[in-house]
Amino acid sequence: MNKPADLNVETFHGGCPHDCPDTCSMVFTVKDKKLISVTGNPDHPMTQGGLCVKLKDYEQRHYHPDRLLYPMKRTGPKGTKQFERITWDEALDTITTKWKKIIAEDGPQAIMPNSYLGHQGLVHGLNGGDAFFNRMGATVTERTFCGEGSCTAWLMTVGPTAGVDPESFIHSKYIVIWACNSASTNLHHWAIVKKAQAKGAKIVVIDSYASKTAKQSDWHIAPKPGTDGALAMAMMQVIIEENLQDQDYIDNYTEGFTELAERAKTRTPEWAEKITGIPAEDIRKLAREYATSQPSAIRIGVALERTYGGSQAIRAVTCLPALIGAWRHVGGGAIQFPVWEHPYKFDVMCRPDLIPEGTQVVNNLQLGRVLLGEMDLKTPIKSMMVWNTNPLTQAPETDKIAKGLEREDLFTIVADHFITDTAAYADIILPAAMGAEMEDMILSWGHLYLTYNEKCIEAPGEAISNMEIFRRLAKLMGYEEENFKWSDHECLENFVDWDASTCEGIDLDYLREHGYARLKDFGDKDVRARHAKGEFATETGKCHFMVKGAKNFVAGPFRQMYEGFQPGEDLDSLPDYVESRETPTTNPELAAKFPLNIISPKSHGFLNSCYANDTRKIKGQGEQSILLNKLDAETRDIKDGSVIKVFNGRGSFKGVAKISEDVNAGIVVATLGYWRQLNDGTVNCTSFAEFGDMGHSPTFSDNLVNVGLAL
Amino acid sequence: MTTLVTDNCQRCRFTECVTACPVSAFHAGEDMLFINPDVCVDCGACIPKCPVQAIYEDLDLPDELEEWIDINERRAKKLPIITKKESAYEGAEDRKKTLGF
Repeated sequence: MNKPADLNVETFHGGCPHDCPDTCSMVFTVKDKKLISVTGNPDHPMTQGGLCVKLKDYEQRHYHPDRLLYPMKRTGPKGTKQFERITWDEALDTITTKWKKIIAEDGPQAIMPNSYLGHQGLVHGLNGGDAFFNRMGATVTERTFCGEGSCTAWLMTVGPTAGVDPESFIHSKYIVIWACNSASTNLHHWAIVKKAQAKGAKIVVIDSYASKTAKQSDWHIAPKPGTDGALAMAMMQVIIEENLQDQDYIDNYTEGFTELAERAKTRTPEWAEKITGIPAEDIRKLAREYATSQPSAIRIGVALERTYGGSQAIRAVTCLPALIGAWRHVGGGAIQFPVWEHPYKFDVMCRPDLIPEGTQVVNNLQLGRVLLGEMDLKTPIKSMMVWNTNPLTQAPETDKIAKGLEREDLFTIVADHFITDTAAYADIILPAAMGAEMEDMILSWGHLYLTYNEKCIEAPGEAISNMEIFRRLAKLMGYEEENFKWSDHECLENFVDWDASTCEGIDLDYLREHGYARLKDFGDKDVRARHAKGEFATETGKCHFMVKGAKNFVAGPFRQMYEGFQPGEDLDSLPDYVESRETPTTNPELAAKFPLNIISPKSHGFLNSCYANDTRKIKGQGEQSILLNKLDAETRDIKDGSVIKVFNGRGSFKGVAKISEDVNAGIVVATLGYWRQLNDGTVNCTSFAEFGDMGHSPTFSDNLVNVGLAL
Repeated sequence: MTTLVTDNCQRCRFTECVTACPVSAFHAGEDMLFINPDVCVDCGACIPKCPVQAIYEDLDLPDELEEWIDINERRAKKLPIITKKESAYEGAEDRKKTLGF
């Protein structure tokens, strides 16, 4: 972009590659071929020049002394971090020779990919390796860490729509942030919400504990974990009982109101009070205020899906704006993931046409069970390649994963920036390039802009981009398809539907110059009311309160665009409250041993497990703490500052007790991201790998534990 | 984890910093500003805006300024939020020079 006066200094546009809805447009400043600063792009309407605590010194991350610089092979027992440097030739030869042997002996399905959104690029991110593994005929891996049940619920109800523009929240009069700690995880949307609040909007935060966001709301409602569905159903009951619905909107733009009203009839506030712990009168007040304060908007947070009934709860919440006609207004409706209307060509990225018929599917939430042979797979897994993810901190049943990774007959390859907890178990480690070191476009699940990232420095040592790794592997495996020869730039030319009306007037040159572009046919945030006249993205164009014959599914991009072996079980035709598996009410036998529900939100100072190996970031975030109510502390002789252990039948971890009124009795809160190799266990040691009710969602918050003084 | 305003702001109060804050964490005292730590997201956007280097991330705070952590927390919560730039404190430019900036 600009060339400042100092001839050795150049600036470039970047895009934050991390797993966050904000996808910030950034400015990289390079001097003498070195990245010297990373700042927010002041021109970008959402980023507005600001980054977050994680990214504000992103240039330093690129030069972190622990960066992986060279390929390495394991020289000691798995998990002991003993490696020695090898050449790329040796690394790639070892990998492909081993894979060819496995393919000959066991078939390609004995190999599985494992990736997620550690990088959100279209080229180097979630789906970057899918074409390669689909071509191989490897086992297909579903990746449903975060929001996939939510996607299923949203798509069933309103179809692939972006929903309300996050920037239009400035016009909202009543904002419900449902299960999201926006101040820590959706900062640039939070800034808009705060401006709306200053203009007089009422901010309601629904969250089971007093998060940083909840504390700044006008009204914090704290249902017991996993009971949000009951709250949403009772809101419907009040709206319909008191005739607060928008009948004209319902008659014209929705389906299944009669059946929904019948379902909601018995879901009274008194019924919901017993389940949620929220007084019936508060539920009535919430429903009345929500229905009568237009425009009203709901931010559906990722955490809402994290219990067994979480996705049914999201279906119920997604019905609310149509019930009251909130969609009629600018700043009215709901937002889930606007990615649905971005013009990305997932079929070109993933090449599902190359997948052999009958290919088996595993899910990365159940990695421990997969590796330990508990899944009754047709072809057991003999090799796994991991990139853009760190399952040993992020996936549930962590102790099982560690045990699985110790298998001597498992050939593990990890591409990453550091020797993560997972990389510590690799047979071969590949050094991966970081943000400013590679060209990409960064997908967004939180706004309506395309975001470009220019390569502006060389990767250190012999690190290379993820896509370059797959190009080299494809060559050695003998894969001749044209896509394996595309440069990163050519990938971008092919992965985006540049002919779509949303891309009118936008191309890669434009993006390089400006860093971002608002999707073209979305209209202005000050006038856009996307579903004022229905026009939902469903087959009927209506909002579906009821879906007859619905079957469970995982959205394509989270399963390499494969349609085989979808979950497929019958789903309830209507939304409802569905009980969690693990609460004192629903599982009293388990609760007799483990009486507390744990919630594990993201750490403010880490991005999942990224940055949790950085001394300064750890100092800022503080050591692993465990919030608990004084009633639960006193009965266990726990004092503020005591080192305590959180445990259940699946595992345990330690942290420092923080006695706080921010959590109600019966709940403990421990944030996610801390590395296993730097701590005594991590939160996911206790979590359960069973899926939620839809989209194979995780159930991180459907988890009973106990706590006690650490011995 | 927070960012805070320290004594260099006293009788300067240039207020450029508040324009960079995405979350309205600044509160206006008569002769200086304070940051509410419950609201601050520690993004650091305000730090380079201060012409007298009064703003610190707590991790970088010199020992002799430690007391300002408590002062910010206490004072911010009693004072009105400031989100728009105001004119600097009378004599701010002289004070800036005295401080060596």
